[in-house]
Amino acid sequence: MAKRRTVKTARKAAVKLSPRDKKTMARLNGLADRVVSSAKARRDPYVDIPSRTLSNIRYSPRKRIIEMGPSKNRRQLFDLSQAKAYMRTLLVASGCKTLLDQGKSTSLRGLFYMLKRTIEDTKENTFDVQNECDTIIEDVEVLLESIREELHLYAENRGAMVGNITLTDRGDPINCARMGSGGYAIPSIVEPEVVELERKKCDAKFILHVEKGTVWQRFNEDKFWEKHNCILTHGAGQPPRGVRRLLFRMHNELKLPVYCVLDNDPWGYYIYSVLKQGSINLAFESQRMAIPDAKYLGLRSIDFDRCELADSVKIALNDNDKKRAKQIANYPWFEKKPKWQREIKKMISNDFKLEVESLISKDISYVTEVYVPERLEARDWLD
Amino acid sequence: MGCGGLIVLRMSANSGPDDQFLYAERAGCPWYAGIPCRPALGSDETCRYNPHNWYKLTTYLPAAHPHRQYIGDVALATAKRKKAKPTTKKKQQPAKKKSARNAQSKSKSESNGAATNGAVRPKRRTTAKAMAASQRDISVSEFFSKNRHLLGFDNPRKALLTTVKEAVDNSLDACEEAGILPEIWVHVQQTGNNRYKVGIQDNGPGILKKQIPLIFGKLLYGSKFHRLRQSRGQQGIGISAAGMYGVQTTGKPVKIISKVSPRKPAHYYEIQIDTKKNQPRILNGRGEGVDIPPGEKGARAIDKHGIEWVDAPHGTRVTIELEAKFVRGRGSVDEYLQQTAIANPHITLHYVDPDDYEYAYGRSAEKLPPEPKEIKPHPYGVELGRLATMVEDAEAMTLSEFFRTKFSRVTPAVAKRICQTAGVSTRSNTRKVGRREADLLYQAIQKTKISAPATDCICPIGEDLILKGLHEVVPGEFYTAAMRPPAVYRGNPFQIEVGLAYGGTAPTQNVTRELLLELLEETDARTVRQFLIYTFNGLGPDAADKIIKAAGLGTRQTPGKMKPKEVDKFFTAMKNVNIADGQSMEVMRYANRVPLQFQQAACAVTQTVTGTNWRSYGLSQSRGSLPRGPVSLMVHIASVWVPFTSESKEAIANYPEIQKEIRLGLQAVGRKLGMYLRRRLKVKQQSDRREIFMRYLKEVATAVSDINGVKQSELYEQLIKVAKRRTAEADMKLDDRGRRINEKPEELNLGDNVLIVDPTQHKAAINRVEIEEEADEQ
Repeated sequence: MAKRRTVKTARKAAVKLSPRDKKTMARLNGLADRVVSSAKARRDPYVDIPSRTLSNIRYSPRKRIIEMGPSKNRRQLFDLSQAKAYMRTLLVASGCKTLLDQGKSTSLRGLFYMLKRTIEDTKENTFDVQNECDTIIEDVEVLLESIREELHLYAENRGAMVGNITLTDRGDPINCARMGSGGYAIPSIVEPEVVELERKKCDAKFILHVEKGTVWQRFNEDKFWEKHNCILTHGAGQPPRGVRRLLFRMHNELKLPVYCVLDNDPWGYYIYSVLKQGSINLAFESQRMAIPDAKYLGLRSIDFDRCELADSVKIALNDNDKKRAKQIANYPWFEKKPKWQREIKKMISNDFKLEVESLISKDISYVTEVYVPERLEARDWLD
Repeated sequence: MGCGGLIVLRMSANSGPDDQFLYAERAGCPWYAGIPCRPALGSDETCRYNPHNWYKLTTYLPAAHPHRQYIGDVALATAKRKKAKPTTKKKQQPAKKKSARNAQSKSKSESNGAATNGAVRPKRRTTAKAMAASQRDISVSEFFSKNRHLLGFDNPRKALLTTVKEAVDNSLDACEEAGILPEIWVHVQQTGNNRYKVGIQDNGPGILKKQIPLIFGKLLYGSKFHRLRQSRGQQGIGISAAGMYGVQTTGKPVKIISKVSPRKPAHYYEIQIDTKKNQPRILNGRGEGVDIPPGEKGARAIDKHGIEWVDAPHGTRVTIELEAKFVRGRGSVDEYLQQTAIANPHITLHYVDPDDYEYAYGRSAEKLPPEPKEIKPHPYGVELGRLATMVEDAEAMTLSEFFRTKFSRVTPAVAKRICQTAGVSTRSNTRKVGRREADLLYQAIQKTKISAPATDCICPIGEDLILKGLHEVVPGEFYTAAMRPPAVYRGNPFQIEVGLAYGGTAPTQNVTRELLLELLEETDARTVRQFLIYTFNGLGPDAADKIIKAAGLGTRQTPGKMKPKEVDKFFTAMKNVNIADGQSMEVMRYANRVPLQFQQAACAVTQTVTGTNWRSYGLSQSRGSLPRGPVSLMVHIASVWVPFTSESKEAIANYPEIQKEIRLGLQAVGRKLGMYLRRRLKVKQQSDRREIFMRYLKEVATAVSDINGVKQSELYEQLIKVAKRRTAEADMKLDDRGRRINEKPEELNLGDNVLIVDPTQHKAAINRVEIEEEADEQ
């Protein structure tokens, strides 16, 4: 948790900017210049931020990913409800500029502390809680069309990986086959400057992504990746951008197919949907992250009968789950897939959900020794 | 027998004929419920529930009902006192004898149902003859002296208010009837523990010498009872009942002084009411009263007698000393007089309270309200009994003529239709109309369509005068009024008027430091708390305490001796304490210009106010309660017959027609308030807006200069210029704390009957005390 790394306030040394940074810097300058010019012209300064809502995304059937639509939200300085948000947007931009200038990167929380202060002559803070800062950062990302990494920001590490692959992380070779029980913690920034992948150094034949750390532990302890020669990852629930980006890069650069073992509930479906098509909130990053060929291995709603599970493992669906399941069934990328429609319908008619761990009720290693190998063998998955 | 339950009548151990205590206990007796049966009744204590009704009870009780015995015992006890015959004392055995009693109940001779051992033959407790001895007339005054709660003398606090109210209402009625602009003096003085002397004087026409004792010393004596006309008083009970209450609680007579003309002598009476006979008893001048000659001589005589009399050419003053309790706030004399002044802007009112503070409510209208007309009853408003009496009382004439002359809105055609529906000839004589025909006619009236009664008999206050009245008395900044056209309920015409005052800031917040110093100098209040309450109108004790607490002063601090530092603290506290916090709308209800102060929840007015959605008019309101905010609302119903829920005249009954009119009136004033508030809000928002922009501009300028190195101060200046242009509207108003719009009423067109004033200049808000030399000497 490198959250509280403080940024040195020492006089900024002349850091040589990488070409990527130069591009970002130019965009930041453009943003500031627009404010100056509109102030000179006595007009209201504003920024147009592409809107990050369900209504402003569309599914591209050709690319099979979610893309951001054209609609934008105007954020004005001289609007009562937007003035503060506008001020914050520019604050975040100036914070990123400082990071770029000094050639350093910081966590989201670090930036929050960098920018958090009391506004002059008032009792009001620029930011009160980190959430307020995080959404503004996402706004700035879409506004400047620069991703978080380009703004020198990173999030907390989440997710882990083991498998027959050796990669280079900031110059250090990491052999993921020798990571013990903890695995390689997938960093938040996995751009080629940080993590290098090489075809030659990878023996694995596929990637198995599981939902949670606990299930991942099970697979790791049973050395599943060794037996089946694969890479084993987890995203601690909804996978963070680092994990998604790394999966994307391994899938595309190393040509490894991705299989997912997730819970049989709307949440699990949605995780799969995010991995496959991209998320609604970060639609602008879909083309760098979405893996349209990812397969859904399990758990399936027919598994209760197929694996002859006991009644005790059922978890009743609540109203929220049912609502969410119907929403997911209506997503355009699920709409025209009869298999998926049947899957979701079956879950609703079952009126219960299943966690991957429920397979442990059969046998501790049932999932690693029977369930997943059988599915892979039978090429039985949802697409 | 319907009495399946167990009934025990017991007598106390030491029961002589004079202290018999009887108890009735029972289970499941159907007769019991309806009978006002006291648990214990001493023979020397007459039953509060109409003693003369005992025999009535016996007539409808079943023969063997034990309550008969109970009743019989009382009568017997009375009879026995005369005959000195020993009483038969009996104790009933319960359950055991139930079947026996039931069996015997058919026999009339054993109707007292007290057959116990079978061996002793029960005797009647009393006989009809014995009972007749205790049956006698009850005088009205006796009845009301025992039932004084019916007239509003339930407790000392209410007694004081009722006394003032009756006297003031009478004075106003008299003045208006004579066509004199009323001027009233009310003087409340404490004379002892729980004793107050109340003096009320008017400048009315005066009362003739021989009428004075009757008006003030006889219940149910008056001029207003027998007519259908809009007036305040109705029965002719009030003032004499107040006098009676005074005599009963303090023993002091009622003092009346009345003057008809400056040249004629004034009459002075001291009267006690003879409760038994309902007759006045004159105490002074050997039962004849005293005449006080006019001029200088008279003034000396007045001095000598120690009579209080504000010198006036004509008028009446009544002084009553009574057991009372003086309070402030809701249901107080202060509140009543204030509300009276609002609804009667043509009166001048001088009021001196027990703490010797003088309040003066000035006249804001120089014209008397038009004289109300007397009307004939409308057929729809007449009940069967009344119809029958009217037919009986009428001189011989045809039915058609009867209807035409005795009722309003009945044309020959309508009369014919009524008679036809009833199947009675139009030409039949009223002498020949019996009970059966009357009933038929009554039914026919309900079925016949008759146009609504004339409404010109109603005298509303009028929108202008309501505005003036409210403005004069309630501090505020926005006033509006609405008058509904007359409407009819159950054949009675009525009219609704609504007035509304909105006071944005409390008077304490409008005071300048200089003015406060001046006020502190001139006040003679002993404590700061008193100073706040008396000086600033509409400031209650709670609010005063809040301010004092915020200032960190002691409650008993003398206002004159505050140190400059304390004055500073006091001043800031006055400015900053939000008095309106949690304040809810004050509803003032009036019926024929008389304020209604009690039973607020039961009143149609309050129910309609809470049932109206005030949120759309810019006030906050939670469901089913009064809206919040510094708002005063007055609702006046004028009618020849105001439907009260009870005899005490405290709440208006819920007729849908009345509720509808009230609601429409409320909506009319609400709309105007909404427009005003929205406008105010807009200006406030503009200034808020400016403030918010200003707050963030520096941050924005700094951030931009950080990024592209532009000069921060330059950009800041430019942004401020844009901000100023954007909030120009607020800029304009900001000069006067965002309230400048008041000066430009043409900008905000709210229509007629709206008054917008600058609250800082409101003279009703702050009571200035005029320092008088005499006051200092006391």
